[in-house]
Amino acid sequence: MFRFRLDGSSGVPPYLQIVHQVRQSLLLGYLQEGDRLPTVKDVAGDLAINPNTVVKAYRQLEHEGLAGGRPGQGTFITAASVPALRGAQGALRESLEQWLREADAAGLNDEAVTALIAVVRQDVKKEKVS
Amino acid sequence: MTHDDTGGSVPALRTTGLGKRYGRLWGLRDCSLSIPPGAIVGLVGSNGAGKTTLLEMIIGLRTPTDGQIEVLGHTAHANTAESLARVGYVAQDHPLYPDFSVADMFHLGQAMNPNWDMALARSRVEALDIVLERKIKTLSGGQRAQVSLAMALAKRAPLLVLDEPVASLDPVARLEFMREVMAQVAGGDLTVIIASHVVSELERFCDWLVVLTHGHVQLVGPVDGLLEEHQMLTVPRATPDADLPGIIIHRDDSDRHSSVLLRTSPATPAAQAHQGWHTETVSVEELVMAYLLRPIKAANSSNSARGAQPSGPITKVMSR
Amino acid sequence: MIWVSWRQHRSQAITGLALLCALAVYGLVLGLQMRTSFSNNNLATCLAHSQGVSCPNAVGAFDNSFGSLVNIGFWSVLLLLPGLIGAAVGAPLIARELELGTWRLAWSQTVPRSRWLVVKLAVAAAGLTVLGAAMTLVITWYRAPMDRLTGHFVHNAYDYEGFVFTAYILFAFGLAVLAGALLRRSIPALLAALVPWVAVRIVVEFVLRPHFMAPLTFRQTCPHGCGGGGGNNIVNVPPSTGHIGNLLIKTLNNTGTTQVTSYQPASRYWAFQSIEAGIFVALTLIVLGATVWLVHRRAA
Repeated sequence: MFRFRLDGSSGVPPYLQIVHQVRQSLLLGYLQEGDRLPTVKDVAGDLAINPNTVVKAYRQLEHEGLAGGRPGQGTFITAASVPALRGAQGALRESLEQWLREADAAGLNDEAVTALIAVVRQDVKKEKVS
Repeated sequence: MTHDDTGGSVPALRTTGLGKRYGRLWGLRDCSLSIPPGAIVGLVGSNGAGKTTLLEMIIGLRTPTDGQIEVLGHTAHANTAESLARVGYVAQDHPLYPDFSVADMFHLGQAMNPNWDMALARSRVEALDIVLERKIKTLSGGQRAQVSLAMALAKRAPLLVLDEPVASLDPVARLEFMREVMAQVAGGDLTVIIASHVVSELERFCDWLVVLTHGHVQLVGPVDGLLEEHQMLTVPRATPDADLPGIIIHRDDSDRHSSVLLRTSPATPAAQAHQGWHTETVSVEELVMAYLLRPIKAANSSNSARGAQPSGPITKVMSR
Repeated sequence: MIWVSWRQHRSQAITGLALLCALAVYGLVLGLQMRTSFSNNNLATCLAHSQGVSCPNAVGAFDNSFGSLVNIGFWSVLLLLPGLIGAAVGAPLIARELELGTWRLAWSQTVPRSRWLVVKLAVAAAGLTVLGAAMTLVITWYRAPMDRLTGHFVHNAYDYEGFVFTAYILFAFGLAVLAGALLRRSIPALLAALVPWVAVRIVVEFVLRPHFMAPLTFRQTCPHGCGGGGGNNIVNVPPSTGHIGNLLIKTLNNTGTTQVTSYQPASRYWAFQSIEAGIFVALTLIVLGATVWLVHRRAA
């Protein structure tokens, strides 16, 4: 069974942590096409989290096309997910790594980086709206 | 103030204008809730806020002074077999009879509950390697909690009330207890109300919240909905309360800026359009603490746009 | 619910059984001793013919051997025994649930608390009744030889032989249950229950009992001086009330050669037992009824 982790103090909502872990495992190859994700009951009982959180995470994964539910059988990793994930995120990852190196060189620590990202992100959102 | 998110199905629990008076003091007043089936509700409030009173009325241990309670559509009458059958209960400190064996406790459960599921009770403790013949007084705190939980579950009631179920348990016992509860909810038609002081863990367990202070419900609703309705705004210090687009739940003023927790409604305009304003979402913990810390006056005039005077900064890290 | 009540009182039942066995062993040993001494001294014949007047030495010897053990022992600390038994069972019945917090468990099962309580009270009371009856039988058997000298209307026999012993236990039980519901602590409830129990016992025994029915009077002329109308727990020969077994109420007049006493005849013994037991049982029911009402109201 695929076992999830939960970091209760990370500030990241539990359902997102599950989604992230699935994405990460796909990228690393630990989850492959056709793998069945554990049942909602198993995850809720393993992590001691609200089952609805798991449902929400699995729905998010379906929405992103990473997983699909088969009635009566469970939730499975879909075929197309891995390459698509790798492709879209590969380029982004590289430019982010570059940017982080530059920020580090400029003397920004972790908190400064996070604060800067938050502010710029807001500005970008405003751009999108207006 | 209340959310009816039941989507048309009969609420697992509904209270209407529920109140309880002790002599001249109201322990709880005007409590109206509607909780959908399958929800896991976090009930938060300081001691004396009315939590115990509310729970006792839901369980059927106490008669309301005002208002009424319905469990799955059935009106509850305190201290009657029909009403008592509908709610399973694990009291704080997990009371059990020390000289009874685990098997004796289950025998008691069977004798006192017509819907008793002995197989469920036994399988729960066997899965945890608790021997049926052992006396309760020889069990650890975590094991006693699990036996109490097994008893409440074996009653096969649609509503389960847990009063600070893990307060006295060590970290491992806590995890194992909550694992059990979550797995049971996932498996069936159980609705759970957890009264807790551990605000930091609410997000993980609960998808509904009820916050009580001074005998009144301050906040109730699904966690997702409540988070959407609240924002943490950073604004210039000089910004007057009236300019803020929503109900002020909490405001902290620094030299040049203020942090404001706002409750918005779909009708209020977006806050982003102002220079120097910054919005963030709020965490469950911050949200709950803000409502808990609200002084009575502001809490009771929640419909006004004027906010409360802050009683102190909310910090992200809360100690229990 | 009956099983639950039994299981909760199981250890008390075992203690009661142990107590009964200890009493039975003691009673058997002493009872056989008394019977042996009785027949060795031919007291049976003497009592039948002359009510002990013609064998004062034998009577005196018997009294010396067993009098203090059998009589005084019973007319002292042991008087508390039924009170302690009843209170020990009654005090924790509700109080312990409140002390331990198990009332939250007990009263949230699918049984309304008044039914829970009524069944528990019935089971406990039934057990106490059986224990009381058994102890009464043991004591009656063991004391029988001495009773032939004192009659069983005297205080220290009457209080143990008949219906009242069980009734005393039940009354203490009822008081302790109520005290437990009010005080919420077992030990204080036990002690608090004994106070009114002792008070009522004293009033009933000394004020009411002599007058359950109008006493009769007995006049006797004794050329050699009349026997003392002394304490009721010492063998009283010749009997100042005419027959062994009558209950002396009061010496009305004693001139040395004539004596007038008021008394209750032995034939009224069981009537008196019934009246007194009835009083205590009625009081028990009142007190238990108040408890059930009180507990029911707690849910309000």
